[in-house]
Amino acid sequence: MGSELAPPIWFFGFYSLMEFIAFAIAMAVALQAMKGYTLTRERTLLYLNISFLLLGAGLLVDGLANLVVLLSRFHRNLIYLSRLGYTIDFLAQLVAYTILVVVYVQQTRTWSGQIAVAALPIALLESNPFTELILIFLLVYISAQTAINYNVSRTTNSLLVFGAFASLALAHVFFLLFTIAPIFFPFAHISQLFGCFLLLGMLFRVNQSQ
Amino acid sequence: MIPDGQAPAAVPAAKYRSQFRIFVDIMRVIQREGNEAKPTRILYGANLSHDRLVKYLEELKVLGVIQESGSSEKVYGLTQKGVEFLNSFRKVEAFAGAFGFKI
Repeated sequence: MGSELAPPIWFFGFYSLMEFIAFAIAMAVALQAMKGYTLTRERTLLYLNISFLLLGAGLLVDGLANLVVLLSRFHRNLIYLSRLGYTIDFLAQLVAYTILVVVYVQQTRTWSGQIAVAALPIALLESNPFTELILIFLLVYISAQTAINYNVSRTTNSLLVFGAFASLALAHVFFLLFTIAPIFFPFAHISQLFGCFLLLGMLFRVNQSQ
Repeated sequence: MIPDGQAPAAVPAAKYRSQFRIFVDIMRVIQREGNEAKPTRILYGANLSHDRLVKYLEELKVLGVIQESGSSEKVYGLTQKGVEFLNSFRKVEAFAGAFGFKI
């Protein structure tokens, strides 16, 4: 995941499978947002749709790239695909979370949000193995906004969304720690998948309500 | 679905209600009144002037989400399409609300 360290080989198959499951959940959220946009023409729902489409696309590309590497039995000429998949996934996540941050900034118009968006280009200037820091930065802001929303609304659905983004933020902390030790790589993916399942739980609750 | 032209784009929701939101409010008042709401109840429930209420009720009738009945005094009820629309809207509202977005 963007470092000189390689993920544990035994985890490669699980890794792809988890990314495919997360991709399906991201698509389900995107679809729900699109349904909402079609009904209401509310632009925030369109941005939410685009954001989750990007997240899903990134997960799919990364999952497929790693699956090809696995099926080639880690052929020397195909190893670069793993890194390419990660780079595409990283860029997709970067754009997706930035869209969400901008939507929250527009909704709340807080100084902290404006600082978060303004600081992003500065963070991008730093080309180093800790690119995960950028995603952590964005996800912590989104988690804080969803936590505030839960504090105001006190609904189970808003708690699930907060839990999801907090888990995704934690996943990227593990990805960051993976640059120190490979053992954190599975934890990162488990945390990422857990966050996606929380979003799936929210979708079930929303669609069951009458 | 409320057609494109009915919902004004990029209206700051916090400052005033969009036409779409007013439609939803009217339909919710009708539903709350047991699907038989008199114009006065809708007027107070949706917080509208008489002129605007008449205009919006006509538009909702054209969209096929409400129907008018009664001879001496008009009574409004939701059509099947209107009930389905409100159910869909409730889900969208819950979904957007989970992320903290107001519709």
